[in-house]
Amino acid sequence: MNTTMLKTTNLTKIFRTDEVETTALNKVSFQIKTGEFVAIMGPSGCGKSTLLNILGLLDNPSEGDYFFLDQEVSKFTEKMRANLRKRNIGFVFQNFNLIDELNVYENVELPLIYLGMSSSERKKRVEATLEQMQIMHRRKHFPLQLSGGQQQRVAVARAVVANPHLILADEPTGNLDSSHGEEVMNLLAQLNQQGTTIIMVTHSQHDAEYSQRIIRLFDGQIVNENIRIPKPEIPTQG
Amino acid sequence: MFISFVISSFRSLTRQKTYLLINLAGLSVGIAAFILIMLYVTHERGHDKHFDNRHNMFRVVEVQNEPGVGNQHVAITMGPLAEELKHSFPQVKKATRVMPAYFVASVEYGDKLLREENMMVADPDFIEMFSVKFLRGNPSLVLKEPNTMVVSEDFAEKYFGTADKAYNNTIMLDGEGYKIDGVFENQTKQAHIYFEAIISMSSIENMPGFEWMRRWGSNSFVTYLLLDNPRDAEIIEAAFPKFIEDKIFSQDEGWQFLEMYLQPFDDIYLGSQHIKFQMVSGIGDAKVLLIFDIIAILILLIACVNYINISLARSVKQAREVGMRKVLGADRMSLVYRFISESFVITLLAILFAIGILEFILPELNKMLNTDFRIDFSDPSFMFGLFLLLLVISLISGSYPAFYLSRFQPVSVLKGGIKTHGKTGILSKSLIVFQFAISIGLIFSILMINDQMKYIKQKDLGINYDQSMFLFFGDDDYRKLDVLKKELMENPAIKNVAGSSFMNGVSGSQGAIYVDDSAQTRLTVRFGFVEPEFFDAMGIKMVEGRNFNPDIQSDHGGVVILNESAIKELGWKDIRDKRLVNAFSPDTTVNPKVIGVIRDYHYYNLKSLIEPAAYFYVPENFRGVTIKYSAQEKKEKIEDFIQTKWNDLYPKTPYQSITSEKYLYDSYESDLKMRTLFVAFAIISMFLSSLGLYGLTSLLIEQKTKIIGIKKVLGSSVSSIVLSLIKEYMYLVGLAGIIAIPVSAIFIQRFLDNYPYRVDINVLNIVIALTAALVIAFITIIFKAGSTANSNPLEALKYE
Repeated sequence: MNTTMLKTTNLTKIFRTDEVETTALNKVSFQIKTGEFVAIMGPSGCGKSTLLNILGLLDNPSEGDYFFLDQEVSKFTEKMRANLRKRNIGFVFQNFNLIDELNVYENVELPLIYLGMSSSERKKRVEATLEQMQIMHRRKHFPLQLSGGQQQRVAVARAVVANPHLILADEPTGNLDSSHGEEVMNLLAQLNQQGTTIIMVTHSQHDAEYSQRIIRLFDGQIVNENIRIPKPEIPTQG
Repeated sequence: MFISFVISSFRSLTRQKTYLLINLAGLSVGIAAFILIMLYVTHERGHDKHFDNRHNMFRVVEVQNEPGVGNQHVAITMGPLAEELKHSFPQVKKATRVMPAYFVASVEYGDKLLREENMMVADPDFIEMFSVKFLRGNPSLVLKEPNTMVVSEDFAEKYFGTADKAYNNTIMLDGEGYKIDGVFENQTKQAHIYFEAIISMSSIENMPGFEWMRRWGSNSFVTYLLLDNPRDAEIIEAAFPKFIEDKIFSQDEGWQFLEMYLQPFDDIYLGSQHIKFQMVSGIGDAKVLLIFDIIAILILLIACVNYINISLARSVKQAREVGMRKVLGADRMSLVYRFISESFVITLLAILFAIGILEFILPELNKMLNTDFRIDFSDPSFMFGLFLLLLVISLISGSYPAFYLSRFQPVSVLKGGIKTHGKTGILSKSLIVFQFAISIGLIFSILMINDQMKYIKQKDLGINYDQSMFLFFGDDDYRKLDVLKKELMENPAIKNVAGSSFMNGVSGSQGAIYVDDSAQTRLTVRFGFVEPEFFDAMGIKMVEGRNFNPDIQSDHGGVVILNESAIKELGWKDIRDKRLVNAFSPDTTVNPKVIGVIRDYHYYNLKSLIEPAAYFYVPENFRGVTIKYSAQEKKEKIEDFIQTKWNDLYPKTPYQSITSEKYLYDSYESDLKMRTLFVAFAIISMFLSSLGLYGLTSLLIEQKTKIIGIKKVLGSSVSSIVLSLIKEYMYLVGLAGIIAIPVSAIFIQRFLDNYPYRVDINVLNIVIALTAALVIAFITIIFKAGSTANSNPLEALKYE
């Protein structure tokens, strides 16, 4: 339980346009252990999403080191990142980012296709995940036919279907009303209990309380890293 | 993975039906037009390819410079030339003369009496040179003896039932027996020379009226040579000046200027527009084919660009999907495959639609153009072509969107659609300018060609062909001309019957006349043999002097009427006391008096200038009668009446007539049909580029959705938004015009240069073309931008 999931040293990200140079992340160093549930908080523009993108191997840092599962990945090419990403990381976004042209089942199946899994294996895994997320009855529906909460469940299903070590959630409840938000947070907490490491960017103090640790960012730097005791009771699904 | 791509492409396509429809419509119409043009040009370029010796064969072309007609290239040559060339140049392996057997009016066997149009006379070498394959008879023995001939299988079956019965049998040509020494395989019409029967040259050598064959003064044969090596042509051509000096000028046949060259056989069909008197069954035009090639490629290019435009327009919506797939582990190549496979599927569909369109229009088109174009799936080269088309189009149209879309970084697209960075902006604007430039150029060209066609149709030819037809005489039929006239005129619907060379008044042959002056001034003219009624009946005006009078004995060949061009060429002010040196009078001491001048009229089409012409009243030389009939009576009824009378009067001459409609079609309309086809293709290209403009405008506007939303929130009205878009387009259209107008003007001028009688480039057409382009733009903008601008600004903003 105490192995290191990821570790950053002096992680810096600078965005350059023709005239302006913006430092989005400034020498950020921290580490996250396997099985942790960490919330990243901070005001708009503090670099939360930039950090999440780098942690999620969607982007490379300008400087600094990033160890993911003991591998230094900050100089990885896009292809290498994609390869590592699809095996180990699941994403949940604020605006769900489901593919409108694919139905629920096909959306959840997608990561398994990219892993090259056989179709019978895929069927087993997708159905199990849909059952777990309690959206099996919606499997033939298209995203636009679902409520926001249901869409986010599908997105969570898609994020976990490949059994990733790490789930990155970017404001997962940002587009949901409070009761749907609660549902999604419970789902994440449950996954964490089952051993999945979760890093979540959020504005919501309420959501952050589900985590064990909050990293606060301001102007691209970590200002506070307080370890929290997890909520005592986690309601079970159903 | 592939299936998932196909599913999502299919669903996204069916969801965005407008785009799918535009894409499919554009591509299938484009592909159909492309295939059609390719069928046509391949057919044209495929002429003469079945002649095995074609790379070693040449046609002798003369360059003459005659007073009255100037410099002219002619494909007819003198009777002794072929033999003399064979004799003088060891490089010439074989040589043959060819001439249509125009002198044979009737072919008869048993109860069959017909007139044949595809008979010719040739030397024995012809058979081997033109790779004629024999079913009966020995090819090396045929065409040697007088009164022998060889015929095609169809010809044999028509008269004898079978090739076997025809072989060694005798058939009557104008009442004289000809032995059939051989039956050859039917020939294809995809050639500049087409024949169903060949009469031996020796048959006519001793016929009365063919004495000119042995002299160097008359040109009537096409001469073909077969060389050992095609490079020898240069050696022979280099020796021509001396050959002409020694063999031709020495004969004192009136030549003042003559050059000769060898035209490669392969160039004959497509490269002979500048040559007169070809005596061929058909001729093409390499220039027209080139124009068609360009149009075909342009159409395909426009269709592909449209596809790209529309894909880019859709990309705004697809960006998020691309980003998400990348997050989930898709690598770039798999996304490239996805978009290329999407374009592959759409192109395949478009090709199927295109074939459907073609199956539908080809029968109509074949009827219109008198062609036999077919889609032949059993032809491996056609199938290969289709496959190549599929590959090329899907790659061209699929790869740009594929690489463009697959480049999207998930980080940038997942949060808020694609950023329209400068590069795409410039690209889509250049594509718009490209599309507009093509539209403007095409509209302008269509208008100019239309003007020219209208001009040709409306231009007064100086001769009135309405309700007229021509009946062809056989040998000596002129003797019963008076009876024929009397019997035909019994029908009140027949207004006029006049013996003549042809319904245009001239015989087609060119020759010299000499003025009876101290210098014996020479003028090359077209000869016409007509009865006095002819001029009046055809609306040809007399501008000076008098018409022929059959009652005056000396008018029979002893007087001449000239056209204005001849008078002008001779530099005469009037015709008082003007005479020619004897030409057609039986009394050789008579020098024909010039008795009249007729107004110039176009006896050929408007592609040639009016040459000097001389008309004589010599009934023996009438090749038939021109008939004018009433517009009130039904043409079929009149023809029935004429045919009955004809058959009674001339039982041995098969009835053959040509209506003015057919004649005019042959000389003008086929050309106009070609132009019509061109205009049709131009309109298709325009339609396609309008579709493309719609796609592009959509792209630009979708990229502007956010700006429009912000502007509306800030209080801007719909009309001011649309107005600002229109202003932006005005610049693009202007730029397109600056590019398109000079290019198409050069192109159009070259087209017009083909016509001696032509319209000038009209500035109004430029204005119309530019306005039309603007109108297309406005309609698209108002249609597309109007709906975007009218929508709730929140929709637009939320989208980002």
